[in-house]
Amino acid sequence: MADTLLTIALVLIAFSLVFGMLRLILGHTTVDRVIAIDLLTVVSIAIIAWYAHYAERFIYLHVALVYGLLSFLGVLAVARYLEKGL
Amino acid sequence: MIEILMLLLCTGIIISGVLAVRLDSLVGAVVSAGLASLFAAVTYVILAAPDVAMTEASIGSGLSTAIFLYAVRRTREDD
Repeated sequence: MADTLLTIALVLIAFSLVFGMLRLILGHTTVDRVIAIDLLTVVSIAIIAWYAHYAERFIYLHVALVYGLLSFLGVLAVARYLEKGL
Repeated sequence: MIEILMLLLCTGIIISGVLAVRLDSLVGAVVSAGLASLFAAVTYVILAAPDVAMTEASIGSGLSTAIFLYAVRRTREDD
């Protein structure tokens, strides 16, 4: 049961990664690309959490925590730049 | 299963590297370079190096993106 759920989660994560990359490549404006990168950040956190369960090494969840905090900082810096604040 | 994921991640690193070189908008290029190091951090986790991944995520994605944007703001106001 848990393996089935993990497989479904991995398929959904892979589709989300592919469509996020498509939006990054095709994106018309800079804001489209920034939103696509915010999406890909969340997808990356999901990949790390999935792999922590897959490899049964739960120390990797700490990496996901630090990753979430710092990628938020990166998107925040870009948003400040676009609003002419940085 | 993990091989497909690694393939997607490495393709993402290559695509974002090419975009960082070829995009016209400077902000888009800076953000694409940050995305390359973000995917590299995930790859480091899968290659069983979580401390390297933590350093890569903090420096590559957070600090260097902010410093690059600050430099773009200071050097070219008309972009």
